[in-house]
Amino acid sequence: MHKVVLDEFRGYYSRLPAEQLDVKDFVRREYALLHFGDQKMIRHLKFDSVSELKRSLVEGVPANVYYSSAYYRNPQADDMNAKGWEGADLIFDIDADHIRTDCKDEHDTWACLDCGCRGRGFPPDACPKCGMKKIDTVTWVCEGCLETAKREIFKLIDDFIVPDFGVSLGEIEICFSGHRGYHLHVVSEGVRGLTGDGRREIADYVRGIGLDPKEHGFRQVTGTGPIVGPDMRDGGWRGKIARAIYEFVSGRSQEELRAVVGPVVADNISKGREKFLQNISDAPPHWGGMRGYSLESLMKIANAAAREHVCNIDERVTLDVKRLIRQPNSLHGKSALKTARVSYSDLERFDPLRDAVAFMGGSIKIYVKEIPRVRIGDCEVGPAKGTEMEVPRALGLYLLCKGAADPRV
Amino acid sequence: MSKMLTKEDLAKYPFLDQSAAFIEGYNLTLSDLSAPAYSGIVGRAVERVRCSIEGGASPLQLGDPETEILSYPLALALVYASRVRWLVNRFATFEAKRCEELLKMETAPKLAEVAKASFGWRVGLEDLKLEWERLTFSLGMAEYLEVAPQFHSPSWKLTNKYVDRGRVFLDAKDFARLLAENLKLRIIRKAGEEGVKDFELPAALQPHLGGIAGLLEGKRQLYEDEFPEGLVDDARPPCIVAIMNDLSAGKSLSHMARFAITTFMLNVGESVDGVLKLFGNVADFDEGKARYQVEHIAGITGSRTKYAPPKCEVLRSFGLCAEPDRLCATVSHPLNYYKRKVRAGAGAKAPTGGEAPTREGRVKGRGRGAGAAGVGGEKGAQGRPR
Repeated sequence: MHKVVLDEFRGYYSRLPAEQLDVKDFVRREYALLHFGDQKMIRHLKFDSVSELKRSLVEGVPANVYYSSAYYRNPQADDMNAKGWEGADLIFDIDADHIRTDCKDEHDTWACLDCGCRGRGFPPDACPKCGMKKIDTVTWVCEGCLETAKREIFKLIDDFIVPDFGVSLGEIEICFSGHRGYHLHVVSEGVRGLTGDGRREIADYVRGIGLDPKEHGFRQVTGTGPIVGPDMRDGGWRGKIARAIYEFVSGRSQEELRAVVGPVVADNISKGREKFLQNISDAPPHWGGMRGYSLESLMKIANAAAREHVCNIDERVTLDVKRLIRQPNSLHGKSALKTARVSYSDLERFDPLRDAVAFMGGSIKIYVKEIPRVRIGDCEVGPAKGTEMEVPRALGLYLLCKGAADPRV
Repeated sequence: MSKMLTKEDLAKYPFLDQSAAFIEGYNLTLSDLSAPAYSGIVGRAVERVRCSIEGGASPLQLGDPETEILSYPLALALVYASRVRWLVNRFATFEAKRCEELLKMETAPKLAEVAKASFGWRVGLEDLKLEWERLTFSLGMAEYLEVAPQFHSPSWKLTNKYVDRGRVFLDAKDFARLLAENLKLRIIRKAGEEGVKDFELPAALQPHLGGIAGLLEGKRQLYEDEFPEGLVDDARPPCIVAIMNDLSAGKSLSHMARFAITTFMLNVGESVDGVLKLFGNVADFDEGKARYQVEHIAGITGSRTKYAPPKCEVLRSFGLCAEPDRLCATVSHPLNYYKRKVRAGAGAKAPTGGEAPTREGRVKGRGRGAGAAGVGGEKGAQGRPR
């Protein structure tokens, strides 16, 4: 990595008050460092104090700093069995990269490594031309991506973590990852002992995996009798499905309904829309209060509606009982932004491209290879290609770390 | 002792904390039990183990609660000392079933009391009336998730449960089932603990172990999984077929797909070279690197852990579960699918539906792992009975 980046990273860690590196039960965590240009992390590190960690960061200037979600008896043991696992925080990772957003067409490109086929936007699973799965991507984040990720983290907290899992706001820590998304750490004692299987159930729950509306009370009394179903005030997915159907039917055009349940049923429901919505919001609800649709078509609506209420997390992170996760207030080696802690009450106002900026003042001269429009703080540049410019320090470091620019003296 | 729990309850549920206290009151060691005065207890313990092996009923002798209570830990000692993983699973399943039947007849407060006094569960007595069901219990989510992932019916998925503020609501039948399953899990997990793993029975009791070994001999073919050499094509589960099709089409696979196919092939007795041959078509194939990785997974190099393939649920999460068939609905692990098809004669006579009547069939509904020694754990492949 360029000397200027290393110098600036070292400067950041020298100025950083050590206590900002503190995490819950600090001495029971494994630490891992990844240096610029290295593929392999240095793992199994244990620090006795935050100032010892700070010293190590100032001396080594790593690109990325991670700590374990797990608590260990011997964090420094290099054999997993000897580490003595004593539980782990429950982590959720929301990454704008995994969410389809329209703005990706503006700033992301992909290329098939086998046939050279290229495209813009969200990368396909397999190359549309040759069917191979080796796809190279160049991705950027913009305000739109980050805003989508933020909405997703709100959904996670407001729809799942608090009402369903019963976790209080005092038991969670929210971090901007420093690049493309957010991490949510549930640090309560109650979740520490969860096994991988238990965590998978939790991940599946927020992703709506395996959700079957019929398990939530939808039935037809005898063969052709009335349809019964859940109440919007019910707990968990049971109530969520009922509310989702209400929202779906009230907010969709006849055309959109047709795409889900076919023309006849869609027309029947739209004709009696008001009555349908009134019926299902009654206490108790009347799911079959009018004619013109079957239980099966209602299930189609339920499934389509529920899909809009699932949360897009990266499930691999959640189900791992010993994940290495980014250290709060450390720098991200691909953005020079910091992994910033955000309180729930500040989250709405939080602007990651301003509030996670680690370098204030100063400017850097750079040669830009190719960039889309990029904003850091108040400064916006691009799209640009093959040009020299002088930019604020934070923006310059951002582009250098992304590998989209070279320093100029 | 809790006011609600009587000595009879301890006899019915000898795993209660109070039972342990009751036994301690006798101040007996295992060796003491070999004295003639305790032959009734030893006899009952042996009978408990025998019934679990043979699958017969073991009527509760409530007229003599002391014998019931004292024979339970001795039966467990015999089971652990046998070091036969199949027997541990079998005994655990048997005890769980026995206990579930009894629990189903209890009142809600008694059920809650047993759960609290045995496993320390924080149980809430509720009265949630839904359209169809009446949910009379609530349990902390973490406690629920310790046990429920054992069941693979969709109705046990957290996603399909009535959940509110960190509590999972259950009806009495499901609650009893969950409690019994937890008992089973505890018995099985304990077998791996230090001090239990290498537990030796006092010499005076050893002859009883001999008798149990004799009974086990007759069941050997049930728990020793002998796969035919090499892969039986017809017995492959659909997920493995799909991955192999991708491989032969030269498609590049995800990490999880590679891991799944490699572990699967190694576990059905394929050689490292045989596995490598599969990858030959892939564009980014690097034999040196691949060999190292396959050998690592086979436990030949590296940490010496021999890995088992991921279970169905993991494959599903990673989008690798492809076109599940009817047999898939009854198993939770691709190796079990393979085993059952091999037993049903795949390869010799092509099976069609795959509804194979096997021993698992008989313990159906007891959750996974019941009769499937050696499958499902992170290091499950090591758990084969010796």
